[in-house]
Amino acid sequence: MYHSSRLALFHCWVAFGLFAPAVVLGFWQMLMRSPLPAPLDDPFAYYASVTLHGTVMAYVLTTFFIMGFGYAVAATSLGRPIRGMTAAWIGFAICLLGTVIAAVTVLSGRASVLYTFYPPLLASIWYYAGVFLLVGGSMIWVALMIINMIAWKRDNPGEPVPLAMFAITATALLWAWSASGVVIELLGVILPAAFGWTTQIDAGLARTLFSVTLHSIVYFWLMPAYIAYYTLAPQAAGGRLYSDLMGRLTFIMLLIFAVPVGVHHLFADPQIGGGFKYVQGFYTFLVALPTLLTVFSITASLEIAGRVRGGRGLLGWIGALPWKEPMVLAIGLSLVMLGLGGFGGFINMSFAMNSMIHNTAWVTAHFHLIFAGAAVIMYFAIAYEMWPRITGKPLRSKTLACWQLWLWFWGMLITTIPWHIAGLMGQPRRVAAFDYNIPFVARTAALVDISVIGGLILLSSAILLIIVLVRSHVGERTVIVPLRYALAVNPPARVPAALNGFAVWNSILLVLMLVVYGYPIAQFLLVLKPHSAAVYDVTRQPASVNGGP
Amino acid sequence: MAGPFSLAHPWRRGAWRALAVTLVISLVLGFIVVSRYQLHSEPLGLWAAICRGIGIRPDVQPASAPQPPLRTATLVAWTRGTLDQIAAGNAKDGLFVAQNCTACHGEGGVSTQELIPTLAGMDPAVIYKQLADYRSGKRLSPVMNAIGEALSVKNSADVASYYAGRPGGLPPVIGLRVPEGGRSLQQSNPAIRLVFAGDPARGIAPCSACHGPGGYKLSAPALQHQRTTYIESELLAFAQGMRQNDISEQMRTVARQLTPEEMHAVAVYYNAMGAE
Repeated sequence: MYHSSRLALFHCWVAFGLFAPAVVLGFWQMLMRSPLPAPLDDPFAYYASVTLHGTVMAYVLTTFFIMGFGYAVAATSLGRPIRGMTAAWIGFAICLLGTVIAAVTVLSGRASVLYTFYPPLLASIWYYAGVFLLVGGSMIWVALMIINMIAWKRDNPGEPVPLAMFAITATALLWAWSASGVVIELLGVILPAAFGWTTQIDAGLARTLFSVTLHSIVYFWLMPAYIAYYTLAPQAAGGRLYSDLMGRLTFIMLLIFAVPVGVHHLFADPQIGGGFKYVQGFYTFLVALPTLLTVFSITASLEIAGRVRGGRGLLGWIGALPWKEPMVLAIGLSLVMLGLGGFGGFINMSFAMNSMIHNTAWVTAHFHLIFAGAAVIMYFAIAYEMWPRITGKPLRSKTLACWQLWLWFWGMLITTIPWHIAGLMGQPRRVAAFDYNIPFVARTAALVDISVIGGLILLSSAILLIIVLVRSHVGERTVIVPLRYALAVNPPARVPAALNGFAVWNSILLVLMLVVYGYPIAQFLLVLKPHSAAVYDVTRQPASVNGGP
Repeated sequence: MAGPFSLAHPWRRGAWRALAVTLVISLVLGFIVVSRYQLHSEPLGLWAAICRGIGIRPDVQPASAPQPPLRTATLVAWTRGTLDQIAAGNAKDGLFVAQNCTACHGEGGVSTQELIPTLAGMDPAVIYKQLADYRSGKRLSPVMNAIGEALSVKNSADVASYYAGRPGGLPPVIGLRVPEGGRSLQQSNPAIRLVFAGDPARGIAPCSACHGPGGYKLSAPALQHQRTTYIESELLAFAQGMRQNDISEQMRTVARQLTPEEMHAVAVYYNAMGAE
């Protein structure tokens, strides 16, 4: 894996090293919201904890893991060293610095703004600086992925870019598009207020800009799972990929349908016109296309593997699959969670039905099932697949790894199914504690207690993950088969230029963004500004009023 | 190689066509079909529906229906101008103004009288707003109304800045607090419970969310070490509607629902908290 292996390993250690304590925080938060006694039961500590849990899980775990995965994919799928190793290490250092700054600021209680940091809540400037460094540093990775793909295409004219590399470049582009929202929000709206240059902040504009990031970032997190579905799982199951073309189309569609849809998070926001909400909801629905395409082609790929292994009959191939392989098991569990979470997602993205579940525990349940469930379980499987190849030390026990995956799966279901129901019963999200003496709240008590059990199972699974990885790390070095990506049934000799690059798709996305986001953002600067009701007070003014000149 | 906008290649042509088709369908549905219908009235016309979809009104004329007389809690609004005015307060000039305050509010703004609040360390925006409310008669007190009328806007900003910087009174509001157990809704002490967790059943937010420790809201004073009887009497005034200068009625809403015992307990707790 050339020199990239150490790079990928460092990224993954940061990702999982911070993941484990963040799971502990998550479990404590569940205790805090439940009728059960919780240590340090202080609502202020709860919000600091939610901020740290969200920041680590949503920004740190994902960004570091995906960067590390991207470097490994670029090196192995192109079969040559990565260009720009120095820049990659600099990017790693910047991201790590940003993470440390943000985490220390949250722990010191100066940034209990939750990971979405919606104005008018305002945190210490250091928190935003940390997030900004993390996002900014990862842009070096984005540039390196694009440069490596372009360089390979130049050296191999007419050849199809390997699907894994094509997909990771789509991931990098998606992240660049996605991050543009939060970066503009930080620079244009939040930092001037955090520095104390202005005493007011336009919460509507900030929320609209953040919505560009808020949904597409979830697809960014999901991308490694999809890459594993297409390029690693068929190989691990002992079969072939059903269709290379479907893979390319899927990643292109995920890129396009991820970004111009964020306003469906703002269905309850008064500033955005209903027409724009509808159009963005419409495009959100189109994500069903790449998802169904994926379910179809991955099921077909697994069927090929199952039949090769001797499975017979209509469904006999399912039993013939190597379910004791962590990658195969993970993909099965992941697809179940993706399916359940996806149906919930249809409720969320529906213009009218959304109001039933808006800001309830349903939403928390939904993104835990999709992200912490379907995506993160694939992160585990990818780690189990790549770790031994990076370190040269195999997993001591695949059974233990499979146990870890099963525990994560059941833990996530037991956690999120009660949350979904509690949300439908009206339990709000982002509330530190509930008074279970109130009859209306008391109805959810049993559900919340059950979800705490799920949280305990998730916690044990996270500990098991670290045990499995550390056991591998201190084990003996042996010769290991290098990472190989699944071959398609009909490997493409040539692909159309449109499916071998992103120029046309970026252009389409740009046009789409201008249509669906142009006016909703411009209105804050052009139409609403003079008599805007959306300009909110800053609730905490560090310098301008308190300190005085 | 053709550019991304070239339609020479079938894949590119198909992609741009798909974009056009989906855009037309979603725009027609979103701005023309869905926007027309309203829950309890006739469907809108085409132009009105499109305007509604965009989020603007088709008519730019103000509504001509008769308006009720305007009633406001205060004449202060937290605009940029107000905050700049407060920030421009000069503590040295404020020292001269403050000489008139010492007799009641104590040396350096640390009150020794139960009914009179400590001003030392109070957020300057709070002092500024209360003086403005006394001046405009939005908050009633025979003594303070006269003083408020005598002070200019600059005087109030100056004296606010002066008292904000005085030590020995209220703690600075910086929105920071070390987490401590026993402050959730499961707490049995009603004062601690109300201060840190509130009472959701009655729609009472925790006092500390705005008044600290830990929370900060513009125009809400820190209460730690404030005089017990002053806190209690103001809660009572809010509850009875004698004091009405809270902009969003949040204090009137909360105080109305507190029992006299709870008001006393919270006041005693806040007073003692600063003394720790």
